[in-house]
Amino acid sequence: MIEKHLMKLRARDELSDAEERAIIAAVSEYRDYPTDRTFIRAGEELEHSTLLLEGMMCRYKDLSDGQRQITELHVPGDFADMHSFTLKHLDHNVMTLTPCRAAIVPHERLRTITEQFPHLTRIYWFGTNLDAAIHREWEVSLGRRTALAKVAHLFCELYVRLGIVGLTEGTSYELKLTQTDLAESLGLTSVHVNRTLRELREQGLVEFRGSRVEISDLPRLERVAEFSPDYLYLEKRPR
Amino acid sequence: MPVYFLHVRNHTGFARDDEGAEFPDLEAARKQAVEGIRSILSDEMKQGMLDFRGRIEIATEDDELVDAVPFRAAFEIHMEDDRGA
Repeated sequence: MIEKHLMKLRARDELSDAEERAIIAAVSEYRDYPTDRTFIRAGEELEHSTLLLEGMMCRYKDLSDGQRQITELHVPGDFADMHSFTLKHLDHNVMTLTPCRAAIVPHERLRTITEQFPHLTRIYWFGTNLDAAIHREWEVSLGRRTALAKVAHLFCELYVRLGIVGLTEGTSYELKLTQTDLAESLGLTSVHVNRTLRELREQGLVEFRGSRVEISDLPRLERVAEFSPDYLYLEKRPR
Repeated sequence: MPVYFLHVRNHTGFARDDEGAEFPDLEAARKQAVEGIRSILSDEMKQGMLDFRGRIEIATEDDELVDAVPFRAAFEIHMEDDRGA
């Protein structure tokens, strides 16, 4: 069930059998959510963290005029809110962008892991550091990149993140997001995203159609995006 | 709620909106078109270009064109007159 999560962890470090068993034992139940379900609201008291198994989720904040900023996208294998373990309530909402299946991990069981498995604790610390690195890269996109580079960069990032959990085929992957989802992730509008997608297609870089991203020229797409996977910390080494 | 498609037509060509979105009414779709134009042109302006040639065409699910918003209509424009200010 949590194989994708283990794949994500194993990409960055070795896991012992005992550690794997401890992670599996930390799951108390599985839950299914429909699309567009906000299942964590800012400020609410949380007693468990949510591990995404299938589908896509996002962290987001809304402004009073109805504008929404998605601050991170989650792919299968990600904890949507490992940070709620120490924060206890969040400053943002979490919602599903597709139908999702998730594992519920009570904070009490995470506490047991921190007490009994120091190496696993460091691996989860690495995980929240990785989220912070992704947020920094999104800041650069939101603040400085052109629309073309923003979209290109997001497609490059998702290509790497989905590849780690075995969800790419060649240079293509399924992405069940709407243009509005992309716009809300990139600080654009859906009309602008549509225009930018056409530009990327016409330049022979990438196509996004029918819930599928097909990267036609990865090296050039990475150049347009100024993408380097360094911030995704892909080295496998003791943490 | 009606579904409208917002196609972008400008000097670089035509970007068909294949996805569409639900809007309470046509006015809401127009508002979305205006925001889209502002987003596209502000990105171009940051790169040193200001080109008002273009419009957003609003179409129904049956591909019937019901409205068009010219890029210029998304802005209140003030210019210095010929004698300078």
